[in-house]
Amino acid sequence: MSSTSLRHRKDMIAWRVFSYIFMAIFTFLAVAPLLWLTYSSLKPHPAIVRNIFALPQEFYFTNYIVAWQRGQLGMLISNSVFYSVVATAITVVLALMAGYGLAKFGYRLSGLIYTFFIMGLLVTAHSVLVPLFVMETRMGIADTRFGVLLPYVGFGLPFMIYLATSYIRGIPDALEESARIDGATYLQTFWHVIRPISAPVVATMTIFAFLANWNEFVFVFVLTSRQSLRSLPVGVNAFAGGMSRDYGLLFAALVIATIPMILFYLFFHEQLKRGFAAGAIKE
Amino acid sequence: MNSLAEKRRAYAVLVGPAVLVYAAVILFPILFSFTLGFTRWSGFGTPEWIGLQNYTRMLSDPAFRIGLRNNMLIVVVSVFGQIPFGFLLAYIIYRKMVGGHGFFETVIFLPITVSAIVVAKLWNQIFSPAGVITQLMRLVLDEPRYVFAVFENRDMAIYPILAVIFWYYTGIYMVIFLANLHKISPDVIEASIMDGAKEHQILFRVILPQMTNIVFTTAVFAIAGSLRSFDLIFAMTGGGPARYTEVIAIYMYFNTFRYYNYGYGSAVSMMIVFLSLGLITMLMGVSRRFERRYS
Repeated sequence: MSSTSLRHRKDMIAWRVFSYIFMAIFTFLAVAPLLWLTYSSLKPHPAIVRNIFALPQEFYFTNYIVAWQRGQLGMLISNSVFYSVVATAITVVLALMAGYGLAKFGYRLSGLIYTFFIMGLLVTAHSVLVPLFVMETRMGIADTRFGVLLPYVGFGLPFMIYLATSYIRGIPDALEESARIDGATYLQTFWHVIRPISAPVVATMTIFAFLANWNEFVFVFVLTSRQSLRSLPVGVNAFAGGMSRDYGLLFAALVIATIPMILFYLFFHEQLKRGFAAGAIKE
Repeated sequence: MNSLAEKRRAYAVLVGPAVLVYAAVILFPILFSFTLGFTRWSGFGTPEWIGLQNYTRMLSDPAFRIGLRNNMLIVVVSVFGQIPFGFLLAYIIYRKMVGGHGFFETVIFLPITVSAIVVAKLWNQIFSPAGVITQLMRLVLDEPRYVFAVFENRDMAIYPILAVIFWYYTGIYMVIFLANLHKISPDVIEASIMDGAKEHQILFRVILPQMTNIVFTTAVFAIAGSLRSFDLIFAMTGGGPARYTEVIAIYMYFNTFRYYNYGYGSAVSMMIVFLSLGLITMLMGVSRRFERRYS
């Protein structure tokens, strides 16, 4: 072994010690609150008040049953699934179509449209909340499922179009041209060539859009007033406001609201990581 | 000729729907909002044109100034807290300085998958007077009557929120930086180790210069994201005590949907847009100067 790599190894030991301590602290901070929430949700309210740290003596599932019924969590979850699935599907399809047009058609207009979409990445939901509410009220689509889906899709588009366009740009022109020579129309080319090749980016887009839509709060909160249209975050917020006297119930409701996304993440985190790599800006 | 028309029609079919939805939900409302910002309007009747009055009123309102201060604190936590810590976490994993880096990566990212509402309600319990911090301090201080009442203290109430924001979002920066670090060729690092570079030299002289672009881009999104913080604070404190934890977006929400000042609310939301554009322009300036120094 050369002396330089030996010296480097000594240097590395200090780094490693620091790294383990640093990572251990961060990991503890990331997980401890979530673990505490989860096991506390299995304790009845008096037990939580008596000793806030103690592990449950027995699994008190009554919290879950009562929270599920009183919080109407079943309905909230099905609403959230509906909003997330429908909005994600529409956003991904629209973005992929637009991505093909913007990446491959070579019109000068495309540059302008693309810039408009990218600028949308910096627009916050709150800067359009007032006019959106006014518009939807005037058009009679406030307080409807359609009225909720519209901004979900609109605000999902910029990032999805960014992902789709940069991916489709990387597809060799030859593939598409050979389909054209075989007499396929542009729309047929989209369906038979671009769509299948884009499967990986579609997976990434779907996961990102779904995650964002599932956790979305403000549109449902502002644009709906009917209980039956509430999504999980909005419903849980209301439930937590009313039920704060019973910690057991509150914690059970919070755990139920969290489990779907944690499972989703554990299943798909490889694709998520790839999405961040794809979303990384190229030098 | 026929095929050119077909191409144009296909373009309209492909790009049109996305543009329409985008225009309806973002473009048109922004313009609408901009115009409404110069009026007084309660949602009924005709908006009354009042020029810049909404903006002057805003700047002289102490509640708005508190919101602005809180927003700036969040920007500071994002840019100087989440980004460096996220970077360090990513770097440790990238250089494989810990075993089981896959595990660490997965776990540290976990908080971001939880919805902001759940995060808010969970941390409320931790910070509440009967919560985890109170009990912990009682054990540590051996003082059974200690009560941690940070949310009753006007000047301190924002700090636990900043801590939660740091806790919630740092993982996402780690993942973004990690994805970009993996694009750097490992040969560069091998070569500098051969040249006898120390680990901190590799970090500051080899890796960071290649990452400046990403760091600045991330900072742009961190700023835009900071100004849109609403859900978390709204669910944690609702802006209390006495509006001391309000951010501009919450200030906008109350003015519009509680006091029905649509014109004023629009002006406030335009202020959010102007602020984020301003901060981002400033950051671009810094980044350009930075790049020049490096090259």
